[in-house]
Amino acid sequence: MNIAPSDEQVMVRDMVRRFLADRYDATSMANGPMPAKDWRALGELGLFALLLPESAGGMGGGAMEVMIVAEELGRALAITPLADSVVLCGQVIARSGDAGARWGEPLAQGDAVLAFARGGREEAGVLSGASGIVPGGMAASAFVVALETGGAALVEADASGVARSAVRMVDGSIAADLRFDGARCVPLDIAEADLSVAVTMAELAIVAELVGAMGTLLDLAIDYVRQRKQFGKPIGSFQAIQHRCARLYTVLEQSRSMMLRAALAGDDARGRAVTEAKAYVLDAALRLAEDVVQLHGGMGVTDELAVGRGLRRVLLLSRLYGGGAAARMALAA
Amino acid sequence: MDLALTDAERAFRGEVRAFLADALSPELRRGAALTSGVFAEPDIARAWQAILEAKGWLVYHWPAAAGGPGWTRIQRWIFEKECAEAGAPVLPGMGLKLVGPVLYTFGSDAQRAEYLPALRSGEHVWAQGFSEPGSGSDLASLRTRAVRADDDYIVSGHKIWTTQAQFANRLFALVRTDPDVKPQQGISFLLIDMAAPGVTVRPILSASGDHELNEVFLDEVRVPVANRVGEEGQGWSIAKFLLENERGGSSFAPQLLADLRRLAEAAGPLVGERADRALRLRLEAQALEMTELRTLIEIDAGAAPDPRSLTTKLIASKIRQGIETLAVDAFGLAGLQLPLERPFYGSDVPPPIHSAEAQVAAARYLNARAWSIFGGTSEIQLSIIAKAALGL
Repeated sequence: MNIAPSDEQVMVRDMVRRFLADRYDATSMANGPMPAKDWRALGELGLFALLLPESAGGMGGGAMEVMIVAEELGRALAITPLADSVVLCGQVIARSGDAGARWGEPLAQGDAVLAFARGGREEAGVLSGASGIVPGGMAASAFVVALETGGAALVEADASGVARSAVRMVDGSIAADLRFDGARCVPLDIAEADLSVAVTMAELAIVAELVGAMGTLLDLAIDYVRQRKQFGKPIGSFQAIQHRCARLYTVLEQSRSMMLRAALAGDDARGRAVTEAKAYVLDAALRLAEDVVQLHGGMGVTDELAVGRGLRRVLLLSRLYGGGAAARMALAA
Repeated sequence: MDLALTDAERAFRGEVRAFLADALSPELRRGAALTSGVFAEPDIARAWQAILEAKGWLVYHWPAAAGGPGWTRIQRWIFEKECAEAGAPVLPGMGLKLVGPVLYTFGSDAQRAEYLPALRSGEHVWAQGFSEPGSGSDLASLRTRAVRADDDYIVSGHKIWTTQAQFANRLFALVRTDPDVKPQQGISFLLIDMAAPGVTVRPILSASGDHELNEVFLDEVRVPVANRVGEEGQGWSIAKFLLENERGGSSFAPQLLADLRRLAEAAGPLVGERADRALRLRLEAQALEMTELRTLIEIDAGAAPDPRSLTTKLIASKIRQGIETLAVDAFGLAGLQLPLERPFYGSDVPPPIHSAEAQVAAARYLNARAWSIFGGTSEIQLSIIAKAALGL
């Protein structure tokens, strides 16, 4: 049985980790969306090309690559459109004929961001209706729209009949409230099964980002309880604090196991394994983030520390693709 | 995690599966299913031990140099997983899992030659003499004294929570050979013949009515110095080895997942809140399975055990207790029966009401409370994790 990353995968992980460590530390983490120039720099390093399928001009990285990259971004509490744009929309356009050729290159370079919208009706190449709040929607060059009527379509953001207004989300990312009123679109020739494969990959990315964030938040908490003194001693010397930290460590390791299990699953089994990972990790991550705030006392609830901002990011990610309860309902069905 | 197995591992699994299908008689399966305690009872365990020994798989977790089959950790895991799935009896671990590895690691040539074959054949049945009435979590405070008299130690003291001591003919015990040094440094590890004059076993009945636990009184018992394992004063580090070996030696998740599956089969479809509880327990056990595998694979690759291996007993205890509570709920009043006859599988015992799983549910629920107590309480586990994994 082999679960260790390959040499190439380790190189990718180290590259992303170094890139992010050079730019973010505990004071700057999760302080707003990643600047476009950093995003483009990651594209130039070949990171997005690695994850894009070959039919979109990428290198066809699989679940392990998605997991590794997403976990590193999560570890830096980076606020990026990785899961939606590169993974989900990238997988969709790669499976949709011409769209892959048109958008693969700009996605890979980090020049363009795509956003994924749900809702809207298509008739004779024209979109109407509303998609509601679309994460990353204000920065998007185009939208992949999962239609109410089934199937998907692609619409450019500056097409006439596309109306969007900015929504500031809890983690500081900017979403769009999106409406269509006779916007011209290109129907995407994608099978339902392919669409669900794409969503599964994006969900794996979300799980991995959360696991990365959990690791960083726990590290911050351990550092803090070692330094913070009350009653003349570091609070980390008190058993109540030690046991809370130890429980968080078990939750982190169990979450990491669920993530790995999902990434290692074969193509046939991945959908279910990712849903199982979501059912476990989404709730675990929020609980851990809440506990890390608790361990930081009053400082934890401020905007000054990464933990408070990390809680906001974890809250968003853990709800973005349906929460843990929804995943458990899906498994029970 | 099927899909990450190599072809060779898959073939091995097929071999194990075929063996189990053939070797597990209906009586053995029934005996295992109707076991309410941690380990199978002697008649069931003895028969299964003999079958495994004849196959060469009894000491599957020992290295080849000590007489094991030379399996990788993954092969051992596959074997445990298949045994759990097939409903094989769980053999008592005091000999095979605890004192066996101590003997082949620390024992003298003479001790290995005397004790290892007798352990495997079933001639020696072992009990563990660690805890004392005043020394539970604080094990190093133990007071059983061993005083040197020529070629013997004269041992006096009081051991407690001794699992299956009523069936054992050998006891491995921690004793204090030097009261004048730091508590940990004055402890030695002795092998005691329970037939020796001065050894008395008194039963402790569990809340379930089961007799698993005992007190062992040692009243000036003469133990040859040749029965000391390791040096005088080395007992504490041997005990730590034993406990670490116990932790890293086998996996919890396979049995938990198999028991959850059997519960769902026996209780019929669980609905509503019970279905959600069953699902959460399964998710936790699936995560534990991967947590355990990660460590096994790393050890096979030559790495030292990661601190995450310290978490598994804590997690497993919680899942075990959750499963047994769910079972009591799932079977309704049938899950609250506590028949007077022991063992449940005896030939003159009436057939179970509802199902084997329902009949043992209440007893298992009660016995499972001990999971978060024995082998280091959950509170002790948390303190160990905080120290060893987090440096607090």
